Amino acid sequence: MKRAKTGLFPPKTLLSAASLMIFSAVLWDCLPPAGIRAMLLIGGIAILLLTSFRNRCRKKQETDFANDVCETIDALMSGRGPENYIPYEDTQISKVQGKLLQYYEFMQAGQRQSRQDKQTLQELISDISHQVKTPLANIRMFTDILGQRPLTDEKRTEFLAAMTIQVNKLDFLMQSLIKMSRLETGTFTLHPETAGLYHTIARAVNGIWANAARKDISLEVECDSQITVRHDTKWTAEALGNLLDNAVKYTPEGGKIRVCVRPWQFYTRIDISDTGIGIAAEHYHDVFQRFYRAREAASVEGIGLGLYLARSIISLQKGYISVQSEHGKGSVFSVFLPN
Amino acid sequence: MDIITIHNLKKYFGTGSRQVKALDGISLSIEKGKFTAIIGASGSGKTTLMNTVGGLYRPTEGEVFVDGIRLAELSEEQLTIFRRRKVGYIFQDYNLIPELTVRENILFPLMLDNSRPDEIFFREITGLLRLDGKLSQFPYMLSGGGQQCAAIARAMITKPSILLADEPTGSLDAKTSQNVAGLLKTTAEAFHQTLLMITHNTELAQLADRVIKLQDGHIIL
Repeated sequence: MKRAKTGLFPPKTLLSAASLMIFSAVLWDCLPPAGIRAMLLIGGIAILLLTSFRNRCRKKQETDFANDVCETIDALMSGRGPENYIPYEDTQISKVQGKLLQYYEFMQAGQRQSRQDKQTLQELISDISHQVKTPLANIRMFTDILGQRPLTDEKRTEFLAAMTIQVNKLDFLMQSLIKMSRLETGTFTLHPETAGLYHTIARAVNGIWANAARKDISLEVECDSQITVRHDTKWTAEALGNLLDNAVKYTPEGGKIRVCVRPWQFYTRIDISDTGIGIAAEHYHDVFQRFYRAREAASVEGIGLGLYLARSIISLQKGYISVQSEHGKGSVFSVFLPN
Repeated sequence: MDIITIHNLKKYFGTGSRQVKALDGISLSIEKGKFTAIIGASGSGKTTLMNTVGGLYRPTEGEVFVDGIRLAELSEEQLTIFRRRKVGYIFQDYNLIPELTVRENILFPLMLDNSRPDEIFFREITGLLRLDGKLSQFPYMLSGGGQQCAAIARAMITKPSILLADEPTGSLDAKTSQNVAGLLKTTAEAFHQTLLMITHNTELAQLADRVIKLQDGHIIL
């Protein structure tokens, strides 16, 4: 970083002034007209004075500048705006103050984010307790029934099966919450590697294949085995699995799910299309919110974390997800992974 | 926290029977660090809204606050500096200077402001926008998508408070549009940049955190 010279008489000025005076002195005897001698002397002294004055002005400017910067910093440290700030003036101090304010705002934003995170955490705890309440109440009810009343084997088996469903629901919720927590707190790191998408998609499809078959939903995958993209295979499979799981849940029996991969200039696009119930355009953003459940989806089992997790995983890999849908006809979720 | 606040904004062009009400009483707030898309048919007032926020137009009536500053209070000279320091523009036709290399084009706004570039930021941004390796090339040597990426980097290099993109993919084919819009979104997110984008393309609009629909100078969504 260059430092400003703050000396009262910079060496160059002193040198030129001295040269002038010496020159005058040398010529003193050689120049008979007193007028020229006087002129030289006055000129030399004037230059000296002017240089000194200019340096004083410059020093004052530097001092003022430093004081203004310090005042701005003091004001920002006390949590108030600088009093001497004239925004968008074409001066150095306005430029520096603008940057300082930008920095201050950046720090404030960090603090706001921290407060918001705390609030989010509280909401999350509230959401979790709400989600856990229903299966727990059901399990308690079944345990009471099983423990207090004499039941036939058939009934007992029926209640135990119902309990297993609730336990599975709790387990699924716990697994999803752990994943979400790890994603949000950044306690895990992605391990991106250049790998074939075909295998990642196959891994995702494996997880939903049985459910799709149960609903007689046809599954079609169009992906060139040569297509490679830098991604975390495990977590990307998880994200794609969530999108596919959603597609299976909301596609009626006999429907169709198609996965299509197309490499683009900057991204590789993975389209997951279904012939499901679709999403109204005004809810495109809502479906990616944590614990969001559409009214039409009330009858379908789920907790509203799948799409949220999918988006988080893809965003962490600097990609994004978009959705296009026609209500009642189906949806297309497009995952864009950077090449 | 809101970075843009607009109260009852009206912008009329012409007078009498020839008067056109481009914006007719718009009020809205835009949150800092968010991506907002403005959609609407031609003549709905999208560009007028963006130009008013960017300080290019003075409102006929109403108030526009950007980053806490009331734009009406600024002189023309101050507005010029406001645009230079606080607003990053991305145009449909890129508006790159053909005689300058990609690197020079990106750094051009800093040169205008006599500022030294933040080399680390420069490397980060050009990396995210896939421009490394193309920095010494001239704009004509790049594809349309590449040129728009250079224009995005140029708009962001001054670390502006708001990024205004007027149909940034309007000159690109559908595939490249999605590519560039994706890069714009992810780059803006990476630097917590407030982005306001005009688009006709509803598919691109839904990449935004919020969509505002204009019709005949009014907000209808």
